[in-house]
Amino acid sequence: MMEAQTIIKPETIVKPTIIDSRGTMCPGPITDLFRAYRNSNLGDVLELWATDPAAKSDVQTWAKRSGNELVSINDEKGYVRIQVRILRKGVSR
Amino acid sequence: MAVKVLVIGGGTGGTLAANLLAKEFAVEIADNDIQVALVTGSKFHVFQPGLLEVAFEGKAPDTIVREERPLVNRKVAYTEERVERIDLRKQEVLLASGQSLDYDYVIIATGSVPNPDSIPRLREASLNFHTSTDESLRIWHTLKQFEKGRVVVGIAGVPHKCPPSPNEATFLLDDYLRKTGKREHVSLTFLTPYPRPYPAEPLSKVVEPLLEKRGIEVVTFFNLESVDPRKKELYSLEGDTIGYDLLIMVPPHQGADVIVKSGLGDRDGWIPTDKQTLRINGYENAYAIGDCTNIPVSKTGVTAHLEAKVAVNNIVSSIKELGKLHKYTGRINCPFEVGSGKAAFVVGSYEMPVKQIEPTRMRQLMKKGFERVYWRSLSGSLDWLLDRYFGETDTTENMS
Ligand SMILES: Cc1cc2nc3c(=O)[nH]c(=O)nc-3n(C[C@H](O)[C@H](O)[C@H](O)COP(=O)(O)OP(=O)(O)OC[C@H]3O[C@@H](n4cnc5c(N)ncnc54)[C@H](O)[C@@H]3O)c2cc1C
Repeated sequence: MMEAQTIIKPETIVKPTIIDSRGTMCPGPITDLFRAYRNSNLGDVLELWATDPAAKSDVQTWAKRSGNELVSINDEKGYVRIQVRILRKGVSR
Repeated sequence: MAVKVLVIGGGTGGTLAANLLAKEFAVEIADNDIQVALVTGSKFHVFQPGLLEVAFEGKAPDTIVREERPLVNRKVAYTEERVERIDLRKQEVLLASGQSLDYDYVIIATGSVPNPDSIPRLREASLNFHTSTDESLRIWHTLKQFEKGRVVVGIAGVPHKCPPSPNEATFLLDDYLRKTGKREHVSLTFLTPYPRPYPAEPLSKVVEPLLEKRGIEVVTFFNLESVDPRKKELYSLEGDTIGYDLLIMVPPHQGADVIVKSGLGDRDGWIPTDKQTLRINGYENAYAIGDCTNIPVSKTGVTAHLEAKVAVNNIVSSIKELGKLHKYTGRINCPFEVGSGKAAFVVGSYEMPVKQIEPTRMRQLMKKGFERVYWRSLSGSLDWLLDRYFGETDTTENMS
């Protein structure tokens, strides 16, 4: 197994990549997040906007399992904003 | 001058759309007031759900393929040629021969294509039942030779058409291994990027105990990053590694080449489309239906069928000045085989989350029955029956 190497200084402010999945039902939001994950770099912050109630717990579990950092979950009017910092992403061998 | 309505792509959605238009405008076509044209890149039409049976039950490939021309109403001007470019602003499409066709209204129904090359070495490492009858048949021949080891079936990337198909493949494979007495020498693993075996929780609750009962291992949150065919290992973006002896993965899909080349799609070639009216964003006279759109519903034949009707109704309304706007409700209805002759269904809409539906033999019979009516459903002649079954699949708004 390849360990992803990450050194991210806490003061580094990264502009989040917004993934607007509002109005899509499961598996829309997590599908959109994974598409963005595939195209992301270490240190990137992905911000998922979702109306689907399953999105919160799905992203939380994924972040925990995959070693990526759940930065924040914010309840907005009618949707939720979930930020994940990409700390782990395998590298092509 | 005749009003020209052009349909691009002669698959599930495009064939039905062209046939419905020909019926709607039978008189106007005879009077040369309207021309309905279909241009499609393939001489043959594949009943794609049958690819599972070819791969895992050894069904003869020619039983799921027909020539496209006889499926299309004679009143439709039919061209069998690949479209190279679509120009929505000029209202013109360029064919491979160099000929161009213009239109007043267009419906794009170019489907989706599996793209194994988007994942390093997936193409050479994995068999695949989403591409063609030949590829599916290759699975069947390989299975007959396969005696023992670890088979990994799963989802190599998202999105892909027919969301239940990777699960269905796993159950059908388990059935095959049991029937042939090989199951005890074979371990079966189902791999998915999603948090659970089926992405929508209510159906996953149905599937999970069945997988467990059959001794099928499930690995979740595995976003496939690459494959090493020499070591026979799979690597995930999350950093995990899994070995295999035989690999059957559904590749991530993308829009058709022509959509990408024409600059009509997003990064993965999906056409930005209004999820209700099915108009391509920014255009009043251009529609997209079926797999080729970016609409947040599953990419299935039923979706393509229901969307074809909405797009056709909107074009009819516009040409006949009926002042009505038809809106798709996002209704989905996809059969989900779970082996042992049983099936569930994935049913939902934009407003109604997927329901928990238990697998039964009756539902499996319905799935098999649909196979028989598929070819006729493309003519639109079964819509009286399908409408009853599906209930409300679109709503109508008065525009005045
Ligand atoms: C294994 C499997 C099982 C499935 N099971 C089910 C199921 O049980 N139920 C269900 O509802 N759906 C199922 N599906 C999905 C279903 O088959 C598709 O979603 C459906 O066919 C999509 O219809 P479409 O019209 O959008 O595209 P398609 O039917 O794929 O047609 C696209 C057409 O566009 C043409 N085309 C593409 N590019 C060009 C070009 N440049 N020029 C001209 N023509 C072009 C192609 O030749 C083709 O004719 C399954 C699919 C697979 C692979």
